[in-house]
Amino acid sequence: MTNLNETIHQPVRLRIMAALVTLETGDEVDFGYLRGLLEVTDGNLGAHLRKLEEAGYISVNKVFVERKPRTFVAATAAGRKVFQEHVAALESILKRK
Amino acid sequence: MRYRILYSTEFSMGTQNMDITPNDAEEALAAIQTVMQKTRHSIASSGTYITLIVTGIVWLIGFTCTQFLPEISHYVWIGLSIFGSILGTVWGFRLGKRVRSPATAATARRVGLYWLFLVFFCMAVIAVAWPLDGKQVTVLIVLFALIGHLAMGLLLSFAAVWWPLPITALVLISYFLLPGLFYLWMGVLGGGGMIALGVYIRFRW
Repeated sequence: MTNLNETIHQPVRLRIMAALVTLETGDEVDFGYLRGLLEVTDGNLGAHLRKLEEAGYISVNKVFVERKPRTFVAATAAGRKVFQEHVAALESILKRK
Repeated sequence: MRYRILYSTEFSMGTQNMDITPNDAEEALAAIQTVMQKTRHSIASSGTYITLIVTGIVWLIGFTCTQFLPEISHYVWIGLSIFGSILGTVWGFRLGKRVRSPATAATARRVGLYWLFLVFFCMAVIAVAWPLDGKQVTVLIVLFALIGHLAMGLLLSFAAVWWPLPITALVLISYFLLPGLFYLWMGVLGGGGMIALGVYIRFRW
């Protein structure tokens, strides 16, 4: 049995998780930076981040930096674990090809 | 005839079925690899290109001035050092806001201390080797700075390791083989090369 995860497998969410797990544990990335990195729109990224946050795979931290609101995003420990399992499941499917 | 191999899966967030072919899996893994590589490059190159462009501008103006206007070059270098420090700090700070890390403050303190010690060691070497002419002092300072950048690259980001090596080669070639054009070579090729490399990393890497 494989541990594919439908929440993560959606293409944009898969790329979001791939970017976030590349960071060191505890590091969080700015919303605008992530949007530019993934080449998606504000609305699209925001919607997918909400899904991932609801699933507990990411944490969204809204703070004020120099009186301006900023949003930082990080993968949670659960998100990292689920992502690794998803990647392992994808690899196992390829091996069975 | 093309066929699809379907895998039924269960999820921790409720039981759902999901159809995944090996081709889908391959595409997903390729997408993951691409994003991970892009993220690593983006984070690693952000500091590198700033360092290269700022240092390149300082070298280009400073060394060219030393070659053609040696009488005012001391003042130019003081101004450039202040300009480079402020610009590098402000620019680095702006980029640092993109990724927040709990380890950033501790790392920044260690990096600051490292550069401080390097300056003291450089001054000690110059004092021990004194008397030196202007070119020798310049080469020693530049070599220490390049050692510093090399160490930063090794410790903080492997993507930033390689660039001090060709610049070191340029410095040594100009010192030993082109003593008459040393400062001009350092300014145009060294400084210009760093600016070009920084721009390349920023837009093409």
